[in-house]
Amino acid sequence: MNTNTQISAADREAVTAAEVTTIIGLEVHVQLQTKSKLFCGCSTLFGQEPNTQTCPVCTGMPGSLPVLNKQALKLSIKTGLALNCEIAKHTKWDRKNYFYPDLPKGYQISQLDQPICGVGYLDISDSDGAFEPKRVEIERAHLEEDAGKSSHDESGRGGKSKIDLNRTGTPLLEIVTRPDMRSAAEAKAFLQSLKMILTYIEVSDCNMQEGSLRCDGNINLHINVGGQKIATPIVEIKNMNSFRAAERALDYEVKRQLAEWKETGGTIEGAPKRTFGWDDQAEVTIAQREKEEAADYRYFPDPDLIAVVTTDEQIDAIREEIGTLPSRLRNDLVREHQLSEYDANVLVNQGRGVVDYFLSVAKTCDNSKLAINWVNQEVLRHLNETNSAIDQYPIGSDGMGDLLKRITDGDLDQTRGKDVLSAMMEDSIDAAAAIEKLGIRQVDSSELDSLCQQLLDANPKVVAQVQEGKVKALGALVGQARKINPNVNPGTLQANLRKMLGVDG
Amino acid sequence: MSNAIDRKTALHVGKLARLELTDAQADASAKHLASILSYVDQLAEVEVPEDIEPFFGATESVNAVRDDEVRPSMDRETILRNAPDSDGEFYRVPPVFG
Repeated sequence: MNTNTQISAADREAVTAAEVTTIIGLEVHVQLQTKSKLFCGCSTLFGQEPNTQTCPVCTGMPGSLPVLNKQALKLSIKTGLALNCEIAKHTKWDRKNYFYPDLPKGYQISQLDQPICGVGYLDISDSDGAFEPKRVEIERAHLEEDAGKSSHDESGRGGKSKIDLNRTGTPLLEIVTRPDMRSAAEAKAFLQSLKMILTYIEVSDCNMQEGSLRCDGNINLHINVGGQKIATPIVEIKNMNSFRAAERALDYEVKRQLAEWKETGGTIEGAPKRTFGWDDQAEVTIAQREKEEAADYRYFPDPDLIAVVTTDEQIDAIREEIGTLPSRLRNDLVREHQLSEYDANVLVNQGRGVVDYFLSVAKTCDNSKLAINWVNQEVLRHLNETNSAIDQYPIGSDGMGDLLKRITDGDLDQTRGKDVLSAMMEDSIDAAAAIEKLGIRQVDSSELDSLCQQLLDANPKVVAQVQEGKVKALGALVGQARKINPNVNPGTLQANLRKMLGVDG
Repeated sequence: MSNAIDRKTALHVGKLARLELTDAQADASAKHLASILSYVDQLAEVEVPEDIEPFFGATESVNAVRDDEVRPSMDRETILRNAPDSDGEFYRVPPVFG
């Protein structure tokens, strides 16, 4: 049993946070973006009528035979390459046997000892410096089929459970990390970084609401107490349905395990791994009912499927398709477009579509600084407010580039530019038509002179201040000028006023 | 070569297969299982040269794959006809808890 010298309750109570190291490993199930299921031609579309996307293969009818979807294999290899994994040249299929009503065959086709992706890694960091940049090692990633969806009677009257098998057989890639994370913040950063890579390389939409990305965490504590190092029993947390939930569940579990150990002194020796579920409403982890016997999946090679052999040429061809990964893209944007780290981060976090939009706008208007300000502010605000994606944004990158080119060229100031953008969106017109509609035209010099004279006559105090050397006082006249003529450019106006007052330069 | 299977092991295997065995049935199963294992053990008598790679299936062919194309599923009414119980939309099964 417990090989440690007994640690007294008083010594346990005296342990501080500094002597506690949190150990976290993650298992992430990613639904691959295929049109059809892993081993049959049924559609993988989400949200369809229950049991309308099944066939004899995915419902486990006797005599039916699975045939591997080659796109699922390709997306798995693509993911493995993006995560720096070794790719297996020879991979095979195994049956994981267990009984559950949403698993009609009585086994799940998975990969036990020859996963498609072997050891790899993902580097994580935090822009706010919550932790030092670090490398999280990937243990493996294997391809398997999803189970169906059960809904249970929650009235407490013991009604029957309902099963929908539409999801049964959908391809999942299970990515398993080593226990390399030391805080909930690191785990959250890993998940965010992973999601960004997976969406960039277009292997999954990672939609957590639809279950395209599901995460379980294994966590325990290493505690240094009076020269002894002890470990608390490992807990697997399920049902962490958002990144925020994952972070909060793991944070909660750290506190719970420390409190439990202080109370009972129980360590990992002789303690089987337990499963807890995260209750997002109550904000607690809850122990799930223990199985009477340890899981015994009796894996064996699936005799219905044959091995898959992948060549170096095939792997290289897939590598070609990956494109620039987010971390590299961030560096490129800073170096080649002179974006700040912050702006590059915001942009890249929005996904490939927004980055491409920016690149196109910046090219058209030849002004990266202006382009990033408008994309990160005007465009992203609209996307957030309307909860929409960049491909639904009403102004294409050509139209936006054209508008920003006019601002760069000095035909419009930014304030008027925003009016033009609104008009473009409201009436679905281009920048030229919006400028026409708003009656924006260049203010000619005689018009500007007479406007300036009018302002100077009406503001003797400002004139006096300027003559005393407070040139900045002129700024107060911009608002007045705009009321008289909204087309006036603030920069040109101030320059002209200075000239008329003889304080130019 | 001993392939003795005790009653406890037989009951465990029965449980994994969702079979409820009486002690008498468990003892009988233990005997059958032991005899099956002894039969399969004949394979152990074959001398395998060192350089032979493990072999997982009945064929040496590899890479039977299909393109990612959606094919029509079976209509729900037909497929649910296989179920002992359904409500026309879902399979219905005895209550399952966690």
